[in-house]
Amino acid sequence: MTPATLQHFELHVLLAMLREKGETYSVPLVLALEKRMDRPVAQAAVFIALRRLERKGLVVSRLDEPEGGRPRRYFKLTKQGLAALKAHRTEHARLWQGLGRLLGPRKI
Amino acid sequence: MRWLLRLLVSDQDRRSIDADLAELYDVRRRHDGERAANRWLRRQRRIYPWHLVMDRLQASVPRGNTMQHLWRDLGYSLRSLARVPALSATIVLTIGIGIGATTAMISVVRAVLVNNLPYADPSSLVWIYTDTPPYHFRLSVVDYRALEADHPAFSAIAAYQTNSVTVSGDGQAERVIARSVTGSYFPLLGQVPQIGRLFDASDDERRDRSAVLTYGYWTQRFGGDPAVLGRSITIDGSPYTIVGVLQRAVGPFEHGTAVFTPAHWPTPTRKGPFMTMVLGRVRPDISHAAALETLHATNARLFPIWRSSYQDEKATWGVQDLKDRVVGNIGSTLLVLLGAVACVLLIACANAVNLLIARALNRTRELAIRGALGASRGRLLQHLLAETAVLGLAAALVGAAIARGSIALVTRYGGDYIPRIDEVRLGGAELAWLGLLTLASGLLIGLVPAIHSSRLKITGALNAGGRSASDAPATRRLRRALVAAEFALATPLIVAAVLMTASLDRLTRVDVGISTARMLTASVSLPAGRYGQSADRQAFWKRALERISALPGVEAAALADSRPPRDSGNRNNFDLEDSPALPGQGQPVCTWVGASPDFFRTVGLRLERGRLLDERSLQDNSVVVDRAWANRFFPGAEVIGRRFKEGGCTTCAWTVVVGLVGNVKWMGLDATDDGTVYYPLVDLPAAYFVVRTAGAPSSVAASLRQAVAGLDPQLAVTDLATGDDLMGEALSQPRYLSVLIGMFAITALVLSIVGIYGVMAYFVQQHARDIGIRLALGGEPARVRRMVVLHGLEFVAVGVAVGIGAALLASRLLSSLLFGVTATDFRAIAGVPTVLVAVAVVACLVPARRAARLDPAQILRES
Repeated sequence: MTPATLQHFELHVLLAMLREKGETYSVPLVLALEKRMDRPVAQAAVFIALRRLERKGLVVSRLDEPEGGRPRRYFKLTKQGLAALKAHRTEHARLWQGLGRLLGPRKI
Repeated sequence: MRWLLRLLVSDQDRRSIDADLAELYDVRRRHDGERAANRWLRRQRRIYPWHLVMDRLQASVPRGNTMQHLWRDLGYSLRSLARVPALSATIVLTIGIGIGATTAMISVVRAVLVNNLPYADPSSLVWIYTDTPPYHFRLSVVDYRALEADHPAFSAIAAYQTNSVTVSGDGQAERVIARSVTGSYFPLLGQVPQIGRLFDASDDERRDRSAVLTYGYWTQRFGGDPAVLGRSITIDGSPYTIVGVLQRAVGPFEHGTAVFTPAHWPTPTRKGPFMTMVLGRVRPDISHAAALETLHATNARLFPIWRSSYQDEKATWGVQDLKDRVVGNIGSTLLVLLGAVACVLLIACANAVNLLIARALNRTRELAIRGALGASRGRLLQHLLAETAVLGLAAALVGAAIARGSIALVTRYGGDYIPRIDEVRLGGAELAWLGLLTLASGLLIGLVPAIHSSRLKITGALNAGGRSASDAPATRRLRRALVAAEFALATPLIVAAVLMTASLDRLTRVDVGISTARMLTASVSLPAGRYGQSADRQAFWKRALERISALPGVEAAALADSRPPRDSGNRNNFDLEDSPALPGQGQPVCTWVGASPDFFRTVGLRLERGRLLDERSLQDNSVVVDRAWANRFFPGAEVIGRRFKEGGCTTCAWTVVVGLVGNVKWMGLDATDDGTVYYPLVDLPAAYFVVRTAGAPSSVAASLRQAVAGLDPQLAVTDLATGDDLMGEALSQPRYLSVLIGMFAITALVLSIVGIYGVMAYFVQQHARDIGIRLALGGEPARVRRMVVLHGLEFVAVGVAVGIGAALLASRLLSSLLFGVTATDFRAIAGVPTVLVAVAVVACLVPARRAARLDPAQILRES
């Protein structure tokens, strides 16, 4: 099966999910992305990217509605999601091979 | 925006989104303070629906470069149009209204003028009429019986008579329209029953009283109950058995009709009266001309048999396509309205093109940068077209709503004016028209500015400081041509509006001849079953008049078979003693009004000579005529004492003219007075009560009903109307028409002014440098002002001149709708351009004054 294509922002969301480990919901992802990318991120963008990833089979979700508490939709990476990230990393590593020195040292 | 969110997201997800946003809000508030957090939350709520819409759009299309570009363009267009809300709203609303109104008018024109009648093989259906130029009228029962026996050119013929009847029995007594039809009527039209059976040839033989209900009446009075079959209803006092219900039909012959009964017409003793509508189906192998010949032959054989009661040798039979007969002369009204809405749509498009070109000119640098960064011309074109697509889509939505609303209004209120109204609807074909109009408008407003913008030269645009590179002579010429076109389209519309208003004004000033203030009228019909004898009817009318006259608040009461200004009882022929019709010639025809003796006093109709009708008039055979009648037949001579024979009857006694009264409008406010004969109304089966009240006429309505119910509780009092109501009804059609055309004209005028203002404002902005130099070199501000205004007027004048030409060309179509003014009325043809040019001058003066006030030093410094 050909791996699903990933849009730029979808990749960002998947990486943030990987960092969160296990189930997560949109709020920690928004905060993590804002921290890492140093710019405001719309919750709508994250939520919609998550639903799109779900349509692609890269994440699954469940709705949790605790009595008296806030309802939340939790998302979890699937095997395909993990495979897509791995494939992406390999592809990029090949592309970057030997180019690092041309661009100088990395700043994070 | 909550509604959009509700539409796109499930309730559960919406709750979880709200919870997540609330949590993030708490984080922001702690971090950035309450104000910033509030601002953030408002923004999140605003953008949410748009993110979802874009996601849905992207998800619904296959991936591909072009499609991706397209969706990105659409999203970008949405945002960039939202930044210029006034411009976007103007374009969407004006084009939406144009598309909607045009679609609605196309629906009406298609249903009324274009579509076939909803009957079997409609093209071979014809109406057969008595043809005695200039009159076309119905046939008599004698004629129909002759045709029934001998119609070689027709595969079938059928006939019907329409009557207003009282239906009583279970439930309240009510007046409805009934048709007595021959057994061949339903088979001829190819109609089938919903339940039970319809009439056929056997019903002509059987003499039993059976009835077929229309679908509408069945559902309205009987709740659509199938058990209605076999039940009895009372029509005009006689019991009828319901044998069937007609299928749900929307044709003109079912419109307003409640019940059908078999035609058991009495055997005639004379040729007239001519009350029978005869329909025929021409055989497929026979042309209309050949069919006409056979009709003439049958008529020629019939004529000598009935010569004693009908002498008009020239009268024969004619055929007319049934659709033409049904549609009548509404065609020109509908076409004028369609032309008007199409003009508004075209003006809206021209205006939108102009606004979009102006916007494109302002974005020249942005587009040039995109080009310089490698966007191809096709890509730029696609980007600009996406914007038009968004506008077009929004306009189509507005248009669909407007079309739906307009059609609902037309079908609700237009039934009295527009035939075949039940067939008007917003169906698939009409929506296809809406799509087509949207596409055409979209291409018109999108392609022209887009091509102009994408053709710009990149380096030139980037280098040019103030003046944009795409402000080429071709663009300028196009913009001016568009403004000229707007004025050319607006001018005939405004001329039409002025003419219609003037015509309406003339109509409202027409002297009806009687005072309609404090007047109340109501109709009562006496069922033949219980009022079969003349003496019974006479007694009823006499007692009813006595009761009504004695009611409090009633000054006078009378009976008449007609109501002014356009509801006359009859038009009859007669033969004058002094100038009898030549053998074989048609006799003169005029309006006949049946009236009780008190009628003249009640309506305030003054006696000019002789005496009025009285109790003896029926025995004396005396009548009263009006001035128009006297002037028509006895100009300058004494009219009192003249005698004639009624209705072509050669053996009847002489009828004598005993009085002369003023003219009254009976045949419509716009009809010419060709004479009226007032004859004594004594025992007619149906009449109007005409009441003069002391106070408000409507206050007497309830006691009038009670008075009639007191005499006979089974009688229905219907058609209650005050004198003002009657005048209002007579004026309603021209009033609606002039309000409609007036609204279109005002829209056209406003759009044209927006157009000329926009072009001239841009002209001044673009030529600020030249004007500045001119002013710096000592040019007078007044001359600059004049130059700008004259420049603007150049193309306005061209537009108005073309528009006047168009108005003159359309005058023939318009003239049939006008009263008292000609379609080429000098004041309208000369006045409208003057006003238009004056308005254009004012619109040009605003930018002209700005130009004259420019500060040369500042402009030269900036450049």
